[in-house]
Amino acid sequence: MVVVLALAAFAAGLQPAAAGPRERAKRMYDRLTGTSPSPALLTDLATRVQSDPVGAALYIMDPGSERSKNFYNVTLKNFATPWTNRDQAVFAPLNDYTATVIGVVRDEVDFRSILVDDIVYVGSGVSPAYSPTSNAHYEALESDNADLRLVLTSTAQSSLNGLPSSATAGVITSRAAARAFFIDGTNRAMFRFTLLNHLCRDLEQVHDPSLPPDRIRQDVTRSPGGDSSVFNNNCVGCHTGMDPMTQAFAYYTFQYDADPEQGRLVYTAGQVQPKYLINSDNFKPGFVTPDDRWDNYWRLPGRNTSLGWAAGPGHGNGAKSLGEELSHSDAFAQCQVEKVFRTICFRSPSDDQDRLQVGNSTATFKGTGNLKHVFAETAAYCAGN
Amino acid sequence: MMRIPKHPTRGSVAGLAVLALFGVIAWAGGGGGASTETNPVTTGPGGGRVSGAPSPAPADIQSFRVNFWENVRGGNRCGNCHGAGGQAPQFARSDDVNAAYQQAAATVDRDFPGQSLMVTKVGGGHNCWLADAGACASILARWIQDWVGESASGGRQIELEAPIALDPGASKRFPATPPAEFAAVYDLLDRFCSDCHQSNAATPQSPYFAAGERPFNPSLAVHAEAYNAAIPKINLDQPADSRLVIRLERESHNCWSADCKQDAAAMRAAIQAMSDAIDTTQIDPGMVVSKALTLRDGTVASGGNRYENNLIALYEFKSGVGATAYDTSGQDPAADLTLSGDVSWVGGWGINVRTGKAQASTTASRKFHQLITATGEYSIEAWVTPGNVTQEDTRIVSYSGSATARNFTLGQTLYSYDFLGRSTATDANGLPRLSTPDADQRLQASLQHVVVTFDPVNGRRIHVNGEFTGDLDSAGGGTLGDWDNSFAFVLGNEVSNDRQWTGVIRMVAVHNRALTLQQIQQNFEAGVGEKFFLLFGVEHLVNMPRSYILFEVSQYDSYGYLFNNPKFISLDPAATPGSIVLRGMRIGVNGVEPHVGQAYRLLDTVISDAGYSAAGGQALSSIGTIIAVERGADEDEFFLCFDQLGASSGVCSNYASVGSSSVADVPRPPDIGVRTFDGINATMAAVTGVDPNTAAVKAVFSNVRQSLPATHGIEAFLSSHQTAIAQLAIQYCDALIESPAASSYFPGLDLGGAASTVFASDAGKDLLIDPLIERMIGTGLATQPLGTSLKGGTAPAGEPARPGLYALVGQLANCGGSCSADRTRLVAKATCGAVLGSGAVLIR
Repeated sequence: MVVVLALAAFAAGLQPAAAGPRERAKRMYDRLTGTSPSPALLTDLATRVQSDPVGAALYIMDPGSERSKNFYNVTLKNFATPWTNRDQAVFAPLNDYTATVIGVVRDEVDFRSILVDDIVYVGSGVSPAYSPTSNAHYEALESDNADLRLVLTSTAQSSLNGLPSSATAGVITSRAAARAFFIDGTNRAMFRFTLLNHLCRDLEQVHDPSLPPDRIRQDVTRSPGGDSSVFNNNCVGCHTGMDPMTQAFAYYTFQYDADPEQGRLVYTAGQVQPKYLINSDNFKPGFVTPDDRWDNYWRLPGRNTSLGWAAGPGHGNGAKSLGEELSHSDAFAQCQVEKVFRTICFRSPSDDQDRLQVGNSTATFKGTGNLKHVFAETAAYCAGN
Repeated sequence: MMRIPKHPTRGSVAGLAVLALFGVIAWAGGGGGASTETNPVTTGPGGGRVSGAPSPAPADIQSFRVNFWENVRGGNRCGNCHGAGGQAPQFARSDDVNAAYQQAAATVDRDFPGQSLMVTKVGGGHNCWLADAGACASILARWIQDWVGESASGGRQIELEAPIALDPGASKRFPATPPAEFAAVYDLLDRFCSDCHQSNAATPQSPYFAAGERPFNPSLAVHAEAYNAAIPKINLDQPADSRLVIRLERESHNCWSADCKQDAAAMRAAIQAMSDAIDTTQIDPGMVVSKALTLRDGTVASGGNRYENNLIALYEFKSGVGATAYDTSGQDPAADLTLSGDVSWVGGWGINVRTGKAQASTTASRKFHQLITATGEYSIEAWVTPGNVTQEDTRIVSYSGSATARNFTLGQTLYSYDFLGRSTATDANGLPRLSTPDADQRLQASLQHVVVTFDPVNGRRIHVNGEFTGDLDSAGGGTLGDWDNSFAFVLGNEVSNDRQWTGVIRMVAVHNRALTLQQIQQNFEAGVGEKFFLLFGVEHLVNMPRSYILFEVSQYDSYGYLFNNPKFISLDPAATPGSIVLRGMRIGVNGVEPHVGQAYRLLDTVISDAGYSAAGGQALSSIGTIIAVERGADEDEFFLCFDQLGASSGVCSNYASVGSSSVADVPRPPDIGVRTFDGINATMAAVTGVDPNTAAVKAVFSNVRQSLPATHGIEAFLSSHQTAIAQLAIQYCDALIESPAASSYFPGLDLGGAASTVFASDAGKDLLIDPLIERMIGTGLATQPLGTSLKGGTAPAGEPARPGLYALVGQLANCGGSCSADRTRLVAKATCGAVLGSGAVLIR
């Protein structure tokens, strides 16, 4: 009976939205935290929304107050969790990748450092402690419903996972990302998912067969099933850009014995991982990876110049400089803003007004890298008029 | 194209240069020679060629007799005419082997058996004893090779020949979509060729340039297929040289009238009209380009260095036409294969098996039984490109009688090669099979060299790409006494047609010895297919005589060329480069630069005296790339273009930047959505004040977490979501009502009282309902249902009335005077659950 009645109530007629201050305040709080405000807080917010909607949103997200708890525990966690696994599952356990995203937003650290810095957030006073060979620390945080706005503490990733500081690259070298994307395979998954999650583009959208194929590795057959036109029309379009950039990860792998859950990220300075050299007979004259030098061929004239690369050499060694290359692109900024827009507004930008809002927030983000402000601006925009 | 005569003074210095450059000895020691090493050059400068005709010696005559003379002197071969008293040269005379030797020795090219006069003559169509002159030439070359290879004292070398310097020609290019003028060509093809050259013909023969039906409509996919299939058969620059014309005019291939020349003229006229309508593409005079070459202008570089001492069958698929794949091992009887079903020829030698097979007769196949049982061991060697890695229990090479009876089989199951072989250690079906483990994924859908060997000691072994897989034969060795000589040798399927394999077979060889690992590696290194050395002249761009960019080029498959190992080299051994800047090199085809496959576009190097040697030139890159076939290997003309070479600079191509495209408005989805799993849990905790760590609540949330909505899309909300929400809601409400906080949550509500009393009036019900509405749904919000509506069940205008919370509480409280003591709490929990699990809470 409860179910029946609940359904009936679910279908109860909603009054047409007039979007007064109380309605806007409720929606803003709802969207930012995933929960309803208490009656007292709603009254408080209604006043603030009228005078300064962005300020009201920042007030909601203020980590100093318990009212913001679910912005970190619910919204940000669900925002970042799909980036941390291949299935893009939102039900995946809390992990160091997600925690770092939450921490960086909370502390208003430049979000572009998420792919660059020697940084990870751990839970203070939580048992078991962080381990490079287990995710138990974060699962305990989640299981205990720990207040993430309070317990997360920034620390140097290199002090925990044993990597040289120069080899760290934010969430790219987090244990969760390594577990998901450096495991087995050829490390191309790390590049593809970073592209997907942080530039909002899958490889099909950056497909450009006109770029030089000289860095495509030996393991990519040039005549799949005996038909090289398949390679020249399809495969090459993704591999021309992907392979020279994935080379940045040449020294990384996720090492495990029987159980991947007990594996760890490994970095072998100066030594290319064997996975970069597998299936070498598929195309002997293919590229043989000698080091971790990466080159961004998408900077060459072609369709991918529209990703908006920042000034820079367009090449480097290792994951850190590649993270910098990717995170300082226009596409990265726009992607973060669009992800926030979808999270808060429940839809993609759909008209000129939406795109103007996204454009403005992108411009602001490119200046400051402050993602919390993007949340605030977007929440103000989508709270209604 | 004519060749520049070999430089009379090039001598051994140039020879040395080239020898060191490639490190190969074409046909060193003959086809059966084990040596793969480069022979040292012992002559000094000006000392002549490294190899030359040896003096006649008894050993050479003996080799001649065994390997060549016995094969050609028969009446069904050269002996019919070139015997004693017959036409000169009488190299096939049966009466005097020494005299025959003298005649033959004068006509063979010991350095390049394939270029011997008798080989080129037979290859040109001179009295071949098979239907395919190319197959006769291959066999004849092999006999000569076996002869001189056993006795020749010198090594073999690739000697580069300078091509005639031609400028890249302006050319006509086929439009991407069929031009209107193609209709006339198509009309002829459809009228006269569609009995065979379309896929749905009774006897389909590719290419399907007659696909579809008249009238020609360029927008139809089937007519586009016909156009694309016809492109390689049409020469726009010289219509008379089109394959469609030649086939009628010179080869009288299924002419439709009694006069082939007249038919050819009609075809030529149609092609000419099409050509006239297409403008010529001119090379931009500002581009810095090399001289131009076709593949056939290059120096042939492959064909040697294989270990073939015990070869009993060899299929190289060089014919390219017809329905027969010839056994060119020279080992009689030839077990030629008949192609049936959808099996087509592949450019660069090979067959593409889709649905069909290539099978030898059981009579011809007996040689496998006879020659292999004589030695008790064998090897099957193949260059294959599996069509996919999803096919199971298929046959690549088989000598069998049915799906359950065989002598040997090489097959594919997913990522594994299978080897079934009958012996005393296995059954009549060759089981148990030896397979490469699934996890190793040895088999890939790319060109692979696979060799399976059997010998009585080691049993079966599988080698892939020159590497022993390490998989041991659980059955062990054995003998082959049980082999059945009534089976047939077949490729691509079982003889019973029920084990279809799909993929490309580039070469198959059968040896009646187990090849050693070293021999297998030698054959793997030798590669497969034709390879050419192409010298692109750049002398006119750099201040260095006889300078070239050298590429190794092969036809990789029907659709692409492999360009590999570019080097800068001069054929003048005294020349030095000084310092030549090379920046941005691109490969051009037929007057334009393909946009795909330009692997050397970013090349930026300096050719310097320090990096250059007369022997090896200077390597420019170790990378290879695939360039698409346009008109076919005989006609595609290549050239190189440079952004800068020496003092010359220009821009080969400008790749236009693509600006951001305009974005269209999309329908705006609903502004509302549902809370997702964590949000629901947090919301319920917040509005009830219950700690989510409460054991019972935590347990239920853990159970239903993944049954709760994962996305906020309201269209994705399911009834199963509501079931899970209701479970969680009732648990939160249970925790709330049973907790001490309940009294402050519901001020004035007597949860311990009798239900009939506590909820007797609306005012009593309000004590329960009002706190729920205020905290869970909110008040004073236009976007939320009104409390009075929820209580009374007021429906929006036009919708039927529905039960409200008053009715719910009243109904639950009514238990006919026999309520349990906790009835009031139960009513409170149920009502709380109904509100908490409602859309008014869930929708945001």
